[in-house]
Amino acid sequence: MKARQNGRGSNDAPHVCEGEGLSGRFLAKLVLLNVRASETRYGMTVVAARSSEWMRPVTSQEPASAIIEIDRVSQVFQTSARKDHLALSDISLTIEEGAFVSILGPSGCGKSTLLYIVGGFVSPTSGMAKIKGHAITGPGPDRGPVFQEFALFPWKTVLGNVMYGPRQQGVRTAEAEAQSRALIEMVGLKGYENFYPKELSGGMKQRVALARTLAYHPEVLLMDEPFGALDAHTRTRLQNDLLTIWERDRKTVLFVTHSVDEAVFLSDKVVMMSKSPGRIRQVIDIDLPRPRRRNELLLDPRYQKYVVDIERMFDESDEAGPVS
Amino acid sequence: MMTPAALIKRAAPVLACIGLLAVWQVASVALKNDSFPTVIEAVRAIPDILGDKESLLNILASLRRMAIGFGVAVLVSIPLGLLMGRSRGVAAFFNPLLMVIYPVPKAALMPIIMLWLGVGDVTKTLVIFLGVSLPVIYHSFEGAKAVEEKMLWSGAAMGLSPAQRLVRIVLPAALPEILTGCRTGLVLALITMITSEMIARQSGAGNILFNALDMGQYDTVFAMIIIVGAMGIFLDALFERARARLVRWSEPQFDMPLSFS
Ligand SMILES: Nc1ncnc2c1ncn2[C@@H]1O[C@H](COP(=O)(O)OP(=O)(O)OP(=O)(O)O)[C@@H](O)[C@H]1O
Ligand SMILES: [Mg+2]
Repeated sequence: MKARQNGRGSNDAPHVCEGEGLSGRFLAKLVLLNVRASETRYGMTVVAARSSEWMRPVTSQEPASAIIEIDRVSQVFQTSARKDHLALSDISLTIEEGAFVSILGPSGCGKSTLLYIVGGFVSPTSGMAKIKGHAITGPGPDRGPVFQEFALFPWKTVLGNVMYGPRQQGVRTAEAEAQSRALIEMVGLKGYENFYPKELSGGMKQRVALARTLAYHPEVLLMDEPFGALDAHTRTRLQNDLLTIWERDRKTVLFVTHSVDEAVFLSDKVVMMSKSPGRIRQVIDIDLPRPRRRNELLLDPRYQKYVVDIERMFDESDEAGPVS
Repeated sequence: MMTPAALIKRAAPVLACIGLLAVWQVASVALKNDSFPTVIEAVRAIPDILGDKESLLNILASLRRMAIGFGVAVLVSIPLGLLMGRSRGVAAFFNPLLMVIYPVPKAALMPIIMLWLGVGDVTKTLVIFLGVSLPVIYHSFEGAKAVEEKMLWSGAAMGLSPAQRLVRIVLPAALPEILTGCRTGLVLALITMITSEMIARQSGAGNILFNALDMGQYDTVFAMIIIVGAMGIFLDALFERARARLVRWSEPQFDMPLSFS
């Protein structure tokens, strides 16, 4: 991947030029604040203003710090059919540390592409994404992707796949194996440790992919429809497991899904996207108590209202196309 | 106990061989031609060749050249093919070069190489090297090109450097394809080995064969053909066995091997 060299420069140089005497840590904070201020100006408030009823009530709580900042990102693809295809247009989004954020939108609206940009696998045509204030220039073990296509290593067994990350990170074999076996059990594949990917069903592969990424403890999970190929029962179970892990570790999660239910159930924030070009249509704060238990939540009128309202918006965006 | 079906499957290759030899035997008896000995005459000449120290040394010299030519070709071609498959720049540089060499029969280069390097081992080994290289490069290239991008991304996210990804992801992912190329290369090594000895006669299995032909010892000629053919079958079966072991993870459920193993 080529390093990007755009107007904003790398590592926030433009923001810090005046603070020569300050310590690095303080500088970084300053930079963060700076960027977040500008984020609000360009992105979030503008979007959120359209749906004031969803705005999170102002709390006295200290605001969590932003871990991922997506700043006016656009992505143009050169396709053979249509010459320039604008897959993402002017996306700005701030994700706070420890937040569970879902991206919801119709097929082809650029959800995966946005995830790849945060992962550092694709560099955006314009704009930039940052992690902890540093420009994202490539992939790294701080961001763990779970791909829609699984992308398991076919020459490794289930255990070998899950152990790959920890081994690469220098964890001793015995330890990596113990951790991996526990993870494999968690995703419900005990007994399949020595199976090769070709011997697994689609849903099983998806679970291996999830375990493989969880195994190396990334700070941010980038999940692209990780439960898309699962049956309803396994899906519910894994949603609960994911929530449990998340409530314990408070990893930041960026979660792409087609399912409104799933998005509301899991998330602090749902980002609704619209298609052609891919834009953020609305950001909805899900103000439901945690820890969330499925059986309680399904009866909760607030949960039901979120689902119904978002589904309606989804339908509208399908009919009306992008909000301009 | 083996079921009748399994027995037939087991015996099928042997039956095919016996059938082929039977056709030969009948044809040669029917034709009554001096230059077409019967199977029995040819087979009777085999112990004479294998018992003769000089012939044995010739065959061993052939095998040594073949092993060196094949080994070096594989060691050079796999990395080159993989790099070409993953890097546009490398591919753009080597593609025209290979496309020029590709259609040229490697044996046709022998006279020129002989002029430069003489008629010894170096020339013959070089020709074998050239013959093996192209299929191995081609298959490594195709294999590397087809590696799923998300697999490389997964590796990158785990912290693998580009070089590590090439060795630890592209190489194993492309291995089935690479080994297909190597198998073709192995047979080509045998073919170019004999051809090179036909052109630069001095030593080797090909030397025995063509000398016998010149002297009208047709039973020896056919015995040599059997020996060389058996060598090819044996090497190929051996290789196929190793290959199947290495890429067990990728074999489709319904597998029909094309080999003697
Ligand atoms: N490598 C590429 N080259 C050209 N166009 C691409 C490429 N990748 C994505 N696109 C286009 O960008 C748009 C967004 O694709 P993306 O895969 O991000 O959609 P998505 O929201 O993840 O869809 P889905 O929900 O079906 O997975 C699509 O219109 C697609 O055609
Ligand atoms: Mg997608």
